[in-house]
Amino acid sequence: MDFDLGEEAAALRARLRTLIEAEIPGDFLGAFTDDPADLETTQRFCALLAREGLLTVAWPAEYGGAGGSVWDQTVVREEMWAHHEPRGPQYMGLNWVGPAIMAFGTDEQKRRHLPPIAEGSVIWCQGFSEPDAGSDLAALATRATPDGDGWRIRGQKIWTSYAGMARWCVLAGRVGPGERHEGITMFLVPMDAPGITVVPIDSMLGPHHLNEVFLDDVPVGPDAVLGEVGGGWAVIRRALAHERVGIARYARCERLLSLLADELRDAGTQLPEHLGVQWARALTQVRVARLLAYRAVLAQEAGGPPDAAASAARIAVTRCDQLVAELLFQVLGDRSLEAGPGAALAGAIEDHWRYAQAATVASGTLEVQQMIVAKDLLGRPG
Amino acid sequence: MNPVLPRDAVEFGETARMAFESVGGIQAARRAEADPTSRAEVSGLLTSLGIDDLDPRAEADTAAAAAVLCEEAGRVALSYPVAGAVLRTGGLPTALVPPHHLRVDHGDLFEAWHVCRPDGRASTARATGPALGTRLGPFVCDLDADDDLRPVDHADPADAELRNWWLTLSGWTILGALDRAVELATAHTRDRVQFGKPLTEFQTVRFQLADAAIAVAGLRELALFALWRLDVAPDRARPDVLALRSHALDVARFVLRATQQLHGASGLCDEVDISILVRHLQPALRLPAGAEDTAIELVAAIAADGFDGLFPHGRVA
Ligand SMILES: Cc1cc2nc3c(=O)[nH]c(=O)nc-3n(C[C@H](O)[C@H](O)[C@H](O)COP(=O)(O)OP(=O)(O)OC[C@H]3O[C@@H](n4cnc5c(N)ncnc54)[C@H](O)[C@@H]3O)c2cc1C
Repeated sequence: MDFDLGEEAAALRARLRTLIEAEIPGDFLGAFTDDPADLETTQRFCALLAREGLLTVAWPAEYGGAGGSVWDQTVVREEMWAHHEPRGPQYMGLNWVGPAIMAFGTDEQKRRHLPPIAEGSVIWCQGFSEPDAGSDLAALATRATPDGDGWRIRGQKIWTSYAGMARWCVLAGRVGPGERHEGITMFLVPMDAPGITVVPIDSMLGPHHLNEVFLDDVPVGPDAVLGEVGGGWAVIRRALAHERVGIARYARCERLLSLLADELRDAGTQLPEHLGVQWARALTQVRVARLLAYRAVLAQEAGGPPDAAASAARIAVTRCDQLVAELLFQVLGDRSLEAGPGAALAGAIEDHWRYAQAATVASGTLEVQQMIVAKDLLGRPG
Repeated sequence: MNPVLPRDAVEFGETARMAFESVGGIQAARRAEADPTSRAEVSGLLTSLGIDDLDPRAEADTAAAAAVLCEEAGRVALSYPVAGAVLRTGGLPTALVPPHHLRVDHGDLFEAWHVCRPDGRASTARATGPALGTRLGPFVCDLDADDDLRPVDHADPADAELRNWWLTLSGWTILGALDRAVELATAHTRDRVQFGKPLTEFQTVRFQLADAAIAVAGLRELALFALWRLDVAPDRARPDVLALRSHALDVARFVLRATQQLHGASGLCDEVDISILVRHLQPALRLPAGAEDTAIELVAAIAADGFDGLFPHGRVA
């Protein structure tokens, strides 16, 4: 038995922290702000990581990766999320779009799409959810109709993160007469295709996070289909399982808990006992979430069906996110109402609280994850 | 035993509700965030509702009316400090402020405030600049005291009474907001169809709604009880008032989370009412103190004054 991620992973972590310290401003809170400089920071940082061979640490060498272990990949996720994801929206391409193209794409799709992802030069978005297809994703109604040797896509997506920033979208549409899971097909669609309109949605998360995407007879070629026509559900399941472990929310929780304690110590104070007790409990919860996430990584590495372990980890991690967000607010008292560089930890705590409220909805709600875990307990197929 | 509000107060609540809806309900809060000067409209509306004659310290009937006005204000996230505005000292509205600085929601709406700290010190204070303008504190302002805060040994017993009333009325505001949150979640899940049926057809959703509704019902009992205690035993009501405040903060955490969750992603969007309610209620949940610090205050108050408002404590002599 050994819980050590290994020397290589530790060295990788140290290297990433050095790079972040050197390249990312201290008050950086992610790419999704009103300040375009933040997106530029992430674009520069992705290019740098790519040059350093760190962007696609765990991708196989044949696709431009370093062939690293899943633990290297885990360390990258942790350090990135802990530091407000300095890869910006590109994490999505790296975490699951690239791997999905490796698994389901044609040689031509791999040649075309994997190098820009590996070089850190392209932003992807995920067009799954629709107004009437949220938790019930199989109810999606966006339709692709054959047109010449290609397709025309018509429908609407919603909640599409970073759609306004993205150059490409992995879009779930419906082909043929099939219902529910049958007929769902994945398309790789350029966001500048004619007929696509992106409308941002104002939310408590801040700009860029949520958008509507309208598809008005968008023409795409035969090469846009990812995987089999009608075989989209398998791609979605795999994508979501990757996504659910792909965001190491526990790492930001742990970093914020520890930074706040440091800050208090520097100011010559400490947590009052009643909050200190909760702080220690929260750290323990974060550790549990981290270990469950590691368990999900192991399950994925073993090649088994990833759903239940990924969902279990996701439940623990997102609950942790909200628990820690509220505890940090209790520690700050009314200072929690401040935002921006002048606020506690340069606004990181306020930002975390708002974003944490979405954690139990994004990538499938907490309740949907519970259903997946329960199905697994009962020995039923997902 | 007759734990109900006087008929007049209930009717007054209905009038206030119609008045707030006539200016758009929660939509008015959205407007105020975009243009804080639009709060003048709310101020006019409250004057026409007779807010100037609602000092809860006057008699039980005005106290009940003030409480329901606060509740109705909470239901629409009214962009106005109603609890502070009904509690006047020398003509100034009252605010309870945190221990280390003078911070007041809507602090810019009045020329000057009578501010009370948890340790008993008080002073007149004025807003020093614009509101924070943040997503979680759009109207929160910092104030400066005109003179040094009156020291503790000169604490005015009238301030202790003010504090009790302020905490009680702000509890009613939170109650109103949470009651509305449950209503919004119920309406949303009844309308929203997933897996071929309304979400309310799923038992888990019903359980969540039921738990939230029970939490709000419990809070309402406590709010009524605190109101009664301030009437019949004002000198011994501090633990009852703090119990209301403490419980309101605990229930708010749970109810806002559950009801926003039931909205799915739409619950995070500013065009959906629950999002405005969650954001605009944050100052009430953090000022003058959050749930954990309030619970600690409650412990001290129980140690000092006991908790046997309904049930005698202690051993048989
Ligand atoms: C920050 C954020 C980013 C997102 N990014 C993207 C993106 O990039 N691309 C994309 O495609 N989507 C994205 N989404 C959408 C996300 O996948 C959906 O919001 C999610 O699947 C839930 O769907 P919904 O919002 O329609 O909620 P609903 O499905 O309407 O659910 C509402 C509530 O009902 C509950 N519920 C639903 N069905 C049941 C049931 N059978 N039993 C019990 N309870 C139930 C839910 O758990 C929830 O609490 C994002 C969402 C968020 C919050």
